[in-house]
Amino acid sequence: MSTYKLMKNEIRMLYNQFKQTITTPSMLLFYGVSFFGVFFVSSVITGLVSFSPILFNFGDLLEDTISAPMIYAATAVFSASSVVSGYFGLGPAAVLTIDDENLMMSAPVKPHQIFLSRYIRRIVRKISFLTLGILAILPLLVSASLLFYSTVFLVIVIIIFLETNYFLGALSSYVRLWISQRTKRRIRHLMVVVLGVLVLLPAHPYLLSRFTALYVAPSNAFALFLIESTGIFAQGESPLYGVILLVIGFTICLLLTANITGYEHYEIYSATRGREETEGRFSRIIHGEVDFSRSRLNDPMLWIMLKDFWSRLRSPMQIWKYIYAVFGTAFVIYLNTIRPAWFPSVTIPPRLAFAVVPAFILMLILFIQMASVTSMLSFVDERENVYMLKASPFRTSDIVLSKYLLSLIEVAIAVIPACGFLIYFIQVGGYLSVVTLAIPLTILFTATGTAVGAYVPVFTNDPKTLPVPLAFSFPIINLGLGALLVLLVAFYSDSVLVLVILPLYTLSLVYCFLAASVHALDTYK
Amino acid sequence: MKPSVTARTDVERMRGEELIRLARVLNIPIFKRTIKRSWLIDELMKELEKRDELSVPPVILESPAIILKKVSKRFGKKTAVRSLDLEVNPGEIVGLVGPNGAGKTTTLRMLTGIIRTTSGFIQVNGHDLKKEPILAKQRVGYIPEKPTCYPSLTAREYVMFTARIYGVPQETALIRMREFVDLFQFDEFIDSYVGTLSKGNLQRALLIGIFSREPPFVLALDEPIYGLDPRGAWNLKKLLRQLRDTGSAILISTHILEVAADLCDRFVIMNEGDIVGRGSYDQLRKQHPEAANLEEIFLNLTGGIPE
Repeated sequence: MSTYKLMKNEIRMLYNQFKQTITTPSMLLFYGVSFFGVFFVSSVITGLVSFSPILFNFGDLLEDTISAPMIYAATAVFSASSVVSGYFGLGPAAVLTIDDENLMMSAPVKPHQIFLSRYIRRIVRKISFLTLGILAILPLLVSASLLFYSTVFLVIVIIIFLETNYFLGALSSYVRLWISQRTKRRIRHLMVVVLGVLVLLPAHPYLLSRFTALYVAPSNAFALFLIESTGIFAQGESPLYGVILLVIGFTICLLLTANITGYEHYEIYSATRGREETEGRFSRIIHGEVDFSRSRLNDPMLWIMLKDFWSRLRSPMQIWKYIYAVFGTAFVIYLNTIRPAWFPSVTIPPRLAFAVVPAFILMLILFIQMASVTSMLSFVDERENVYMLKASPFRTSDIVLSKYLLSLIEVAIAVIPACGFLIYFIQVGGYLSVVTLAIPLTILFTATGTAVGAYVPVFTNDPKTLPVPLAFSFPIINLGLGALLVLLVAFYSDSVLVLVILPLYTLSLVYCFLAASVHALDTYK
Repeated sequence: MKPSVTARTDVERMRGEELIRLARVLNIPIFKRTIKRSWLIDELMKELEKRDELSVPPVILESPAIILKKVSKRFGKKTAVRSLDLEVNPGEIVGLVGPNGAGKTTTLRMLTGIIRTTSGFIQVNGHDLKKEPILAKQRVGYIPEKPTCYPSLTAREYVMFTARIYGVPQETALIRMREFVDLFQFDEFIDSYVGTLSKGNLQRALLIGIFSREPPFVLALDEPIYGLDPRGAWNLKKLLRQLRDTGSAILISTHILEVAADLCDRFVIMNEGDIVGRGSYDQLRKQHPEAANLEEIFLNLTGGIPE
């Protein structure tokens, strides 16, 4: 069995997915609205703001505030974080699926062949969606005087760098596996520190200035490309050197990862799936630590919220999230009230003053967008239990509302530290932006996320897997709605009408999205 | 032994577009806009007969086809399977029966190479699963307890893909696919996306995927009847008996004792990772004279008959 045949099958599956999308009216409409909606919104934005001067001055700002070694250090820290997180990850087993377990693992196929074929599918899909995304924001690119092909090229180089980091993480995971097979002593985990340092070392200015060969390190190659292609701290080298070195690094890492992919990764995958099944079981929550029969609360909505809260709390990440929320909130309250001298706000050069507000708005939208991903997963995390929930004696609207409200709390606690820090750091003046932007965007994006998550079982038979196109449309919709909200606030900022229009815009859209979620739940296959 | 010969009836039952596809696979030139079905079948048969003469003799499985020696599997501190010895010969259906959590599925997953043994040795068709996994898996057909498949492939694409994985010639796969599509009454769904199939139909698609390969098989079936309607179940049981009679080795895991009693030549009864009983129905009856049927033997061996 050749790897080529497996790859061909993966491409065939992608093609079938595409075919299904364009032949299913509801999906076509959904993606069409997403794509052309964003295209329209970005056209409107570029009609009002020109991004070219912002971008033009951005290089100067960076050269004033940072140094070239910092760029090398930043990319190296990114790679090091991949290596550290990859050390505790699944490595190549992460690309395996339940279908592979049932069909391919028992077939006369080598593990590296499965890995390579799955990987090809992942990369083709990623590039296709990113190209579509770039096409959707084409007006913004034109406004910023960025050429389409050069942007696509930049995105591809970024993807290559990210994928190389993924491989570094996979290799790091293999190191853990290899050591764990030889020793069970806890000291073995110090290896992760060694690996992290190994990835950071090539970016050290002293070493980099003496050993040109260190540019082969993917983080250095990527930094070289960034520096030479943007002109920031450029030394007159061709950015292609960076690309070539990065491609070499990528190829080496890909082949190494394929080489280490073995039958033990079947075992790793199977073990993880077993753990997921036992941890994620709805019944275990109900019959386990949380005794709902003793609850004084008689509202089904609160039961669902409590169930979700406890279910999420089983994940260590959730505990870290709460720790971040508590300490982050305390810290930003301290920053905004005391304004300590040891942590000053950023000083924007006067010639860049005009760029402060757009940068602030963009970052605010992105921060809230990132935090609101939790809401998108509120239905997806239910997995097959979503059907149990649907069959329970709860009203559909109660289910949707409980999901929305808990997600709103979750999103809000994640947004507060990020926005508080942004407001302090960029100093846009006053806290009006919290009322006019941060709060409405949080309320709105949570509703978008709930609706997108609710539609997963409508578009697919597998309620636990968020289809990439659906996940991809989520930030696009949010970006569009966020931009419209900003426009509304900007238009009516001098009028008392803003007090009516802003809540009306936000709440009516929230109502529409929640109604769509109810409709989605009522049309499950 | 003579090479296998393609029967004309197998080709005659194929649909028009399948015949055209077969003609393309066999490189039979078709120049006319309209052609007679009988002419095409004649041409196909001529070509298939030529190929049948050149084909290699059918494979015979090693005996025993499945060997598990002192196989154990631990998940952390829990032992799922403890020192299991099991052999399945070609021409034999062995039922692996036991309550939930007895270690049946783990045994099948080890046998198919999905998970590795903690200790012990597994040999499939004469090949050590650890040292020669690809050769050992060549004859294996596996149906998992919870059947899943690539949702973005149509059932036809899936079957042809499976055939390619196992190196089955395309013409053989096409002819056999039609045979089993008819047997399992799957014609309505053969061009449907796998993701849209019900559990029972998905089970059928997986079975067609296995049987489109050439026998003999080493089958590891985890609750194969569960999910099939009575006609599908009856057809599958008939087919499994046929396969047994033509030299396949079949290991079926089930806790539906009627299925086991109806189908299996021998039983291996597992409880909490251990084998607590084994033998044919008659042998088990002799060992447990107080039991009236297989159900009572099973209950006796796995914790006693409830009051």
